[in-house]
Amino acid sequence: MAKRERVMRMSVEQPLWRALTGYRVLTMVYAIGLFVSAYDEVAHPWVAISYFAVLAVWTLATLPRVANAASCTKRFLAADLTIALTGILLTRIAETHERIEAGAPTLPSIWTAGAVLAFAIKGGWRWAAFASTLVAAANLIHRSGVPTRDTVHMVLLVWIASIAIGYVVEVARASERTLARALEIEAATRERERLARDIHDSVLQVLAMVQRRGAVIGGEAAELGRLAGEQEVALRTLVSGGLVPVSRVSEDAAEGAVVRAVDEPDDSGGAVDLRLLLASYAGAKVSLAEPGAPVTLAPAAARELAAAVGAALDNVRKHAGEQARAWILVEDEPGEVIVTVRDDGPGIPEGRLAQAEGEGRLGVALSIRGRLRELGGSAELISVPGQGTEVELKVPKATSASRGKAEQR
Amino acid sequence: MTDTGEQRDPIRVMVVDDHPMWRDAVARDLSESGFDVVATAGDGDQAVRRAKAAAPDVLVLDLNLPAKPGVQVCKELVGHNPALRVLVLSASGEHADVLEAVKSGATGYLLKSASTEELLDAVRRTAVGDPVFTPGLAGLVLGEYRRLASEPAPAAQDADQPGAPQLTDRETEVLRLVAKGLSYKQIAERLVISHRTVQNHVQNTLGKLQLHNRVELVRYAIERGLDDE
Repeated sequence: MAKRERVMRMSVEQPLWRALTGYRVLTMVYAIGLFVSAYDEVAHPWVAISYFAVLAVWTLATLPRVANAASCTKRFLAADLTIALTGILLTRIAETHERIEAGAPTLPSIWTAGAVLAFAIKGGWRWAAFASTLVAAANLIHRSGVPTRDTVHMVLLVWIASIAIGYVVEVARASERTLARALEIEAATRERERLARDIHDSVLQVLAMVQRRGAVIGGEAAELGRLAGEQEVALRTLVSGGLVPVSRVSEDAAEGAVVRAVDEPDDSGGAVDLRLLLASYAGAKVSLAEPGAPVTLAPAAARELAAAVGAALDNVRKHAGEQARAWILVEDEPGEVIVTVRDDGPGIPEGRLAQAEGEGRLGVALSIRGRLRELGGSAELISVPGQGTEVELKVPKATSASRGKAEQR
Repeated sequence: MTDTGEQRDPIRVMVVDDHPMWRDAVARDLSESGFDVVATAGDGDQAVRRAKAAAPDVLVLDLNLPAKPGVQVCKELVGHNPALRVLVLSASGEHADVLEAVKSGATGYLLKSASTEELLDAVRRTAVGDPVFTPGLAGLVLGEYRRLASEPAPAAQDADQPGAPQLTDRETEVLRLVAKGLSYKQIAERLVISHRTVQNHVQNTLGKLQLHNRVELVRYAIERGLDDE
């Protein structure tokens, strides 16, 4: 897996390094050729010859250094630039004043640009600006402070080109990171789906099986069966409904990337599917009945409603006991969403309702009612002796009938 | 087997599940309780072939099958023999499938986590034509009717043809109570009607949905000119 990532990282940069290697060798040959063609006019050929000897050896010996970003160290860059600057300054000694005035090239001539480009490719546009500024300064000294138009053009060209290339390299790196991240997310999602399928086909079946046989055998096995059943429900919720929260989490890690909005397929203006929020409540003792299609609500309303359902379920456990079963029914009416939570506890006998309210036994139910009223909805408590207690929560939809529409505010 | 009473004839059951352990366990439970397990199958194609040969009364069907999806198996076999009763025995979390299976002829749905007694009871009830509902299925059916009602009526041209099926108020009431986990007995008590009436209401909700599904299929066939001979 690490191998694959490395291939990704290098893909855009690698050709640049190869090009730089070729550029350095060719420009070295060119610089020597320039010198040879003008050999008779050079004032101190031995200075030039010894410089070119150093330059040739250096260029060839350091070819591996410009093969990739890792081997191109800061120390190499500094030495490389020093050689280029030294070459520019040596020109004053090697050449006659007249020739310099006439606009003769510096000793390393365009080889200098290679050193600057190495800075650009290695470190981006800031490094490139730094190196090309030094080169510009050296050129100014070389011309004794009075640059010809050609020199100015040369200097500007190197300056702008290196900065541009440095910038392009930075953008390319950022895109590469984004691409790698996107591929990673995609691979993770695929893997997750595959796992979900596998788990569904094997582990869930076995857990359900253990639950079933355990109930038949009884005793300790029944307890094991019950545990297996709970795990089955939890695992199934995780592999089926769990997909959405995970893809949301991955957003924050798109560090520094230019193309950031890529992995954000959020739909319908931030409306939330209530079913996903309620799915986590379902378990061995709690059954969830839903319409089989997304029940969309504004995020705040959906969260409040889910919290109210949670409070109602807590209330069930508190008053009807740990062993009580509960059923959640979600209904998507044209104008409102209705969620009913029912338990199979003893219920509240008629006439006791008011008394219970007085004793504060309905405290939670009342707080639920408060929550719902804030959403413009209502909460109703229904109890039929022998058939448990029902809490019916109603929340009006954002605007009106149309489904999946959430453009309030 | 004595021929004296038809009632005493064992119910012929076929079990379809891709998980061998499950299949065997369910088949064993059924035969131990006096059912006649005439065939089993591990994938969709096998299920269709063997069911046509073995002619079971009740098909206990997992929807999550290799080779051919369980919904397709249900469609083909009920189309082949409308008297076949299908009980979907499935892990939840496949809701669209369950609804599709019910629309194409399955009359029962049970979670795999149900106990053996619940399973045996469900097979018995399915065999005599009673619908077997879980609260989850009731919620799905309610949702489906609501979706059908909110769809714009597609057939404006033939006005006498009934459009989308609708639930009566009483049927809605009964389905809601089923979805809230009440037993038929509790529903009968609460609404002060007989147990049989509750069953009829539940059955009607399924019947209308299946009928609508068949009508839609025929309409689709006519539109596409598939009825040409």
